[in-house]
Amino acid sequence: MSTRRERSTTAAPPPPPPTMAGNSDNPLSAHVLDTTIGRPVPGILITLSKEENGKWRKITEQVTNKDGRVARLISQAEFTPSSYKLNFNTKSYFESLGQKTFYPYIDVVFQVEKPEEHYHVPILLNAYGYSTYRGS
Amino acid sequence: MSANENPLTSHVLDTGIGRPAVGVLVTLSKYENDQWRNISKQLTNSDGRVGNTISSEEFSSSIYKLTFETLSYYESRGEKTFYPYIEVIFEIESPEEHYHVPILLSAYGFSTYRGS
Repeated sequence: MSTRRERSTTAAPPPPPPTMAGNSDNPLSAHVLDTTIGRPVPGILITLSKEENGKWRKITEQVTNKDGRVARLISQAEFTPSSYKLNFNTKSYFESLGQKTFYPYIDVVFQVEKPEEHYHVPILLNAYGYSTYRGS
Repeated sequence: MSANENPLTSHVLDTGIGRPAVGVLVTLSKYENDQWRNISKQLTNSDGRVGNTISSEEFSSSIYKLTFETLSYYESRGEKTFYPYIEVIFEIESPEEHYHVPILLSAYGFSTYRGS
């Protein structure tokens, strides 16, 4: 299980001001579930990038918790209409189980048009297939 | 003739309408020397399929990527979608086998799997 953390370039977002409405500074979350065993997948390294000027800029890296979730991937202030990419390091999970998988990693590229809404991008994961959808 | 002619095929089904997704541009790339090299580009046919994406000679054990230009498909239908494009990155270990990498597509979700 990877415990590598990005340091200097991903400073924690400042706490939201008390009067902030909307997403409570958590506009984007993700989740990984292994539907072969019916369990969340902890310990998956997820990297969020934002497309700016035709290039991907890394925003943050986080590891899924015991519920298979990551949250607070980006601050509300930084979460502007744009394309984003979530990279899921799923191969390391299957390797830790001693299993092969078809996918070295999974990238999901999506566009945010309404940053005032909450976006949830889960992966339902198997070794030889996966699905994803826009949740809320 | 090689036993594994046409070793990699794909298919895009629009589960929002229960029909194949016709005219989706599908690009196959191969990972070589730390970068992606384009192998082929094709549009899905009237059955939503692409075949002959790579020759059996070129289909060696490696990492490949299929890129599906799904935004253009939805734009041509006057619809929005969550995904500017879809990339599926997969590893081929047994190039003597046939691989089918389909997408079950909807505007706000998709799934993919290793078929044969």
